[in-house]
Parts: sequence; structure tokens; C-alpha cells
Amino acid sequence: MKRLAAVVALLGLATATAACSGGSTNSSGGSGGGGGLFTTIDVLKPGLDASGPANPWAPKGNSFLGYNAMKLGWIKNHLTDPNQFYPGIAASWEIAPDNSSITLHIQPNAKWSDGKPVTADDVKLSLGLASTTGSTAFAVTPGAAGVASDVQVVDQKTVKVSQDMKNPSMKFARGIMDNWVVPAHVWNSLLPADFWDKLKAARETGADADKAREEILAIGQKVLAFAPPKDVSAGPFTLERVNPGEALLVKNKNFYNAANVAPAQVKLLNYNGNEQIWNYLSAGKLDQAGFTAMPSDIMTRIKNAPGSNVIRGFSPVAVGMAFNQSKKPYDNVHVRRGLAYLIDRDQVTKVASPEGGTPALTTSGIHQKPAQEWIGSELASLNPYKHDVAKAEEEFKAAGLKKTGGKWTLADGSPWKVSMRAPATFSDWISAEENIKSQLIAGGVDAEVVTVADYPVYLEELDAGKYDVGFWLMALGPAPYDIFQRLYGAANGWTNVAGKVAHSAPGKGGNWMGSAEEIDVEGVGKINPGELTAKLNAATPEQAKPIMAQLAKTANQDLPAIQLWDYVNTQFTNTSRFTGWPEQDSDLLRLNAGVWIQLGLIKAKQ
Amino acid sequence: MSVLLESSSTSAAMRRNFWAGVWRVMKRKPSRMVGAVLVLGFVFMGVFGPMFYPAQLPLDPTRITAPPSWEHWLGTDDQGRDVIALVVTGSRYVLLAALVTAVITVVVGTGIGLFSGFKRGRWDNVLMRLTDMKLTIPGLPLLLVLSTVWKFSSAIQMGLVLGLLGWGGVARAVRSQTLSLRERGFIEAARGLGLPTRHIVGKELLPSMAPYIAMNMLIAVTGGVYAQVGLFFLGVLPYESNNWGQMLNTAVFRSGALQVPSALGFLIGPLLAILLLTLAIVLVVDAMDEIFNPRLREE
Repeated sequence: MKRLAAVVALLGLATATAACSGGSTNSSGGSGGGGGLFTTIDVLKPGLDASGPANPWAPKGNSFLGYNAMKLGWIKNHLTDPNQFYPGIAASWEIAPDNSSITLHIQPNAKWSDGKPVTADDVKLSLGLASTTGSTAFAVTPGAAGVASDVQVVDQKTVKVSQDMKNPSMKFARGIMDNWVVPAHVWNSLLPADFWDKLKAARETGADADKAREEILAIGQKVLAFAPPKDVSAGPFTLERVNPGEALLVKNKNFYNAANVAPAQVKLLNYNGNEQIWNYLSAGKLDQAGFTAMPSDIMTRIKNAPGSNVIRGFSPVAVGMAFNQSKKPYDNVHVRRGLAYLIDRDQVTKVASPEGGTPALTTSGIHQKPAQEWIGSELASLNPYKHDVAKAEEEFKAAGLKKTGGKWTLADGSPWKVSMRAPATFSDWISAEENIKSQLIAGGVDAEVVTVADYPVYLEELDAGKYDVGFWLMALGPAPYDIFQRLYGAANGWTNVAGKVAHSAPGKGGNWMGSAEEIDVEGVGKINPGELTAKLNAATPEQAKPIMAQLAKTANQDLPAIQLWDYVNTQFTNTSRFTGWPEQDSDLLRLNAGVWIQLGLIKAKQ
Repeated sequence: MSVLLESSSTSAAMRRNFWAGVWRVMKRKPSRMVGAVLVLGFVFMGVFGPMFYPAQLPLDPTRITAPPSWEHWLGTDDQGRDVIALVVTGSRYVLLAALVTAVITVVVGTGIGLFSGFKRGRWDNVLMRLTDMKLTIPGLPLLLVLSTVWKFSSAIQMGLVLGLLGWGGVARAVRSQTLSLRERGFIEAARGLGLPTRHIVGKELLPSMAPYIAMNMLIAVTGGVYAQVGLFFLGVLPYESNNWGQMLNTAVFRSGALQVPSALGFLIGPLLAILLLTLAIVLVVDAMDEIFNPRLREE
């Protein structure tokens, strides 16, 4: 979910109202690396909150990923392997061959900005804090997959974390590495002395466990609200000050790789909408910015700014047009296929995401870039659903729809209007839906676009089954389970608790997509896609490949969603002040500039 | 019989004189004629404009936010549709909503103001406290809340909400005017004659205030346009494609009209429409002032 939240936040930048930045910064000073001021934005945090604490768990806090907020390691988002990382607080790690444990070796020279060493106790406390707010390896749900059962301090620089093997997950190591580390001497008052016993009790069932979970939830609320009196960081920077216009961070001389950190200061500018980021980039103000949806003309303007540089790479996410099959006529596969033929995905992508997406080659549930690696030659055998009005008509006729006066109606002659929803802040989705609307109307299918106030409301109402058709992020790599759980997971009725897969009826338990529980797939036979997806959770890559092929065929034939475009990671950098940027297509592009800096990539321009 | 004939010929003469007066006033300043023509133009655009275009405007993905050309005088939008066609088809929603807003504002505001001012006493107290309460309702936050429930896809719905949020000021102003008028001789005389309230309010007070009310109505139209266009521009109302406010929102936040000149036409289209509508109403109000207020006429 954390990955999803990040992707969502990235997309959520397409928002409306305006604000402006202000304030000034002294660009002199600093030592080591010889650089000056590095200016950027935090793509995960629109709207700086000057009163926010330096707390990485706080939703509106002033801890910035990779700058003053450190994780054990930085996830590479490899095309197919979820367990590859760059070092963070952990300099190295060993994952047991059966995934039963991960042993973390803390950076030998790591110190907090106040001079105290980073120790195994800091890591243990941080993992405890993660359990009060977290999910994945730190879920307190009884029997959840891939949960840490034990955190053991081996020595002052080594921690061993074991997985509960009753319900193992391939992503256990990823769940551990993807966690914040904070200083125990600042944060230890938050966890009671008997916390670890409480946590153990919370993962059982019964009244005592319920009580323990409640207590942990209460601690979690304190963790979210905690405001350390001073930012003590083990990262390359510490927070100096923040105002509504900008956050200023200064170099942490105690950072373990400080000699290779070029900038003396980092300034994160405030923004509330895409257009502010466009302005910053057009003016050459930013040294780096993550992906922002923008029209081609704006991209041209940005490219013309002095020193402007665009780097593109893989983004492990696609967008699909998903159906609520509990509503007619979307319960009929021929209707979904007809719509797939009727929509020209090339045109949709050209209008909606010319700089940030490539039209999906087919609809497989997997991003086109890793699809070849996962399903190989099977990819070519999938139906590409090329734009074809005649085929769309055939499908609609097969579904029993009727065409009267050039307009398609439902079988009983009642009107049919494809009502598409999107969050008001996602400009590329609205643009896409507007284009699809025009295409559908041209094909005789009445359509409308309705916006919803914001993304949380959108998800809530989608979940409640209020919409017929909505846009849905899918193909969230690289873990195979993550890829298909978007199509055959909780939103489509299959919940995976304690390794047991349960199916809710359409319209119940968050099942808004409402696919059939069993699907007869040509060349495969009858399968239960939810159970197959759950198997991916514990499968090795070799075991996963045939399952992925079956699921891709299912998604292609049954179309719970039409894959529209695969996102492209478009990054903006400026070569006027700094050099040493990641190469085109580098996997580092899936991490932020704070991580590039701490890894020693960025150099001041001489 | 002769009395009847006399009276009908008198009123016909009055009507003739009135229209002749209107024509004289309009002729005196060409700008007033321009205003009237523009208002008629907007009415025509709202009523018949969309009929000149297909229900679904043709789009051209090869010409997304294209600059103005002979083919597209104000360029194209982010789907490659003609901006002028969007302005024309989008006018119906804006103008109808503004008209509904104005009618509700004026009818409710005038009704309450007149009744309250004339009756005074308990009725005045109750109605004015009600008006005060209405004036304290913050319109924008209320609309934000309502937008989560309603789609506002119907112009009448939009106008209804804006109208019900906007009558307070008119009610207060009309009441003050009524309080002043009710002390004048002709009202005193009417009351002394024992004429019914309905007659005094409808036949004596209302005609005296007609110009004021008519001007308020026109000004409420511009207020209605600003309010809804502003709300759509800010993106606080659900998406409605055929709408000037939504065009502005898309131009600025999706097409970068403030950053790139190619999208400027997309921004200018709806802005020009709003500007011309406001100008037309101001010019007509200027004429109305003179038509209804003989002292201003330069005979």
C-alpha cells in the first residue's frame, strides 16, 4: 500500500488551486562536495505545512524522503525482483534462502546529526514504531502474510528480523527494508516497556488480542502526532526551517557519506498544483523534479529553459478503465470487449498523457516493459484490442445490445450511458475520459464524465459500488502479487488473510469490480483468478511465470479493466548547477533525488 | 363607454410616448445601442447557438491547444475542439443559470423587502432576522459541501442554489426603499382611502421601484455568471464540459494557458464572452437609468 500511496500522490499532483512560494535562502556555506544550494520539490507532498513536525510518519510532516528521512534501504523497483535495494541505514543485508529472515548490518559510520551513533536499538525501536502505524511486514492483523515475528538485536550494529512462516511472503525483506529509522534517544518515550509482548499478543485472536490491538492503535496515533523538539537525522541533511513557501535543509556533517554529498543546502519549494511546478521548471529554478502531468507545449517550454534535462525510465504502474460488473450491461464480457475495440488507446494517450505514458500494447494486467520478462511469447498471443469499430459492433450485438437511430441501447431498449468517474485533481485522467467520451459518442455509445472532489472520496465511493466505470491504477510492479492484486484482489472480491483466500459477493466487502469467481479461459480451462493471484505472494519468480501467463490471459479475455496506458517515469533535472544525474532508463529514477545525493551521484558543476 | 375609450387611448398614448422615450434615450449614446445589441446577441447565442453545432463537437487530436488560425479563430482546446464552438455551446448553461439566479434573487428579495418594509412591526422583525441569518450563511463553503452531493449538471439547479444564496442584499435594499416610499404622500393617501395592501404594494409601490428592481435583475445576471464561472474555474464543482468556467479551468490547469501562448486563445474565448456580457449589461443599465428616471433625461 505504501507503493500505491506514493504512485497515487505522484498522480495527485494534477490539482487545481493556486498558491505561491516565497522567502529567500542564503546559498552560501556548507562543506564537503563543494556544492551550493540544491532546489527541488517533494512530489509526495503538495502544500508545505510550516507547523508540521519532523516526523516521517506524520502525514503533513517535514521529513523528506532521502534528505532528512532515512530508511533501512532504498527499493530499486527492479522489473521483476521485489527484493533488490540500495543501501540506506543498512549498509548490507542477508536474506535467508527461504525468506525466513533478513539480517541487517547497519552502516558502521552512521551517526545521528547530534553526534550519537546509529545503533541496533534505534533500528529495533523504529521497527516497533512501524508496527503501530504500519502494514506489510508490520501488520497487526492476525495471520497477515509476510509479517515480522521477531526482531533480534544481534550486536550494536546488527539486527535480525524473522518472518512468521505460517503465512510467508516473497516480499518480506522488502517490507522490512522499506522502513523509516529514527533515533531511539528522541523517540523511545513513545513505546511502553512491554510493547513487544503487546505486539505478540495483538497478532493472536481473542479478547486479549483485541485489547492489545486497541492499545497499539492508540500508540500509533501518538506516533503520527509526535513532534520532536529538534530534527535529529541520520540522513544527509537536517531540517533548518520551514515556511509556507519553502523548507530549508542544511548538510548533516555527521552523515556517513558526507564527503560525497555535494549540496550544502537543499530547498524544497511549496506547490499546490501542476502549473506551479511548470512555472518553476520553465524558469530553470529546480535542479530536479519528479513526474508531473503536462501538455506537450509546456514540455517544450521546459526543455527550452537553460540547462533543462529530461530523463525517462520505467514507471511500474499503468492506468486502466475498470468496470463495475454488478451493474448492467458491464456484467457482459462482450460489452467490455466492445468498449475495448471502440476506444483508440493511442489517441487517448496522445491527448491525456503525451509526456508521461505510452499506449498499452494490449490489456494483460502487466506493464508492457516487464510483461515480456514475465510471460514471454504469450504476450504476442494476447488480443491487442486494436481500435476497430466493426468488431466493437459485433461484440455489442453479441451482448444483445440494440442500435436504434445510430445509438446503442440496452437489450430491452432502455438508454445506455457510460458514466465515467475521475478525481477532480487528476487532470490526465479527466482529459482521457473526455477523449473516451467523444470516441464513444462517435461510435454510438452515449457517455459522460463526472468528477469527484478528491482521490480519497473517489476511492471510498468506488469501493461502495457507486460508480459504473472508473479509472484504476494497475500493474503495480515489480512483485507479481502486487501486479495482479489490483485486478484480482480485494477490489474484485478476493481477500487474502492468513494465507486463506476468501471471496465476497459483488457489492459486498469492498468488491466493486464483481468479476465471476471462476472464469473459463481459452486454452487454460476454468480458473479462480483470485486464488491464483494469492499464490503469487509466496511463489519464486520461476514459479510465478506460468501463473502470470494464466492471469494475463484471463485479464485479456475477461477484461475486468481495459489497460489504457503504461506510465513512463519522466524526470526533470537541470545541468546548470549540478552534474552526475542518473542515466536514461536508470533504475535510480524510481528513487528520489535525496537518495541520489546520499549515494554520492550528484556533483557540483565546476 | 366614452370613459373607457378615453382611458384606453390615454394608456396607448403613454405606451407610445414611453417607447419613443426609450428610443430617444438609446439613440443618444451609440454605446447603449451596442449594449442592447450585445444583450440580444447573448440571448440568441444561449437560445439558438448550440443548435448550429452537433451535440458532440468534432475533435482533432492532431491539433491539441492549437493557436488561432483561419479555421479556428481562437484556436482549439486540449481535445482539439474549436474554442468558439465551445464558447457558443457553453453559453446556454452559463446564461440560463445566471437568469435563474437573477429571477430568484429579484423575486424573493423584492417580495420579502416590499412586504417587510410595508408591513413593518412583527412581520418586519421576523423577515429581517431571516434575511440577516441568510446573509451570514457563507456561500462558497456551502456550495463546496453541496457539490459533494449534487453534480450541478443542470443549469437550473445551479441557478436555484445561487439565487437562494443571493437574495439577502436585494431584500434589505428593497425594504429600505419601501420604508422611504411608504411615508410619501401618495401612499399615505392610498392608505387613507382604505385601499387594500395588495393594491398599494402591487399598484403604487412596485411601479415606483420597477426601474430599481430591473437594474438589480440585470446586475444579478452578471453576479450569477461570475459566481458559477468562478466556482467551475476553481474546480470545486463537478466537471461539466460545456461551460465557460470549466473552459477557463481546463485552459489554465490542464493546458497551461498562462505559460504557453498557443493555449492563450482557449483562455481568451470564455474571458471575452464574460467581458462582453458584463459590458452589455452595464451599457443597458446605463440606458435604463435614464429611461426610468426622467430627471436624468436631457430633453
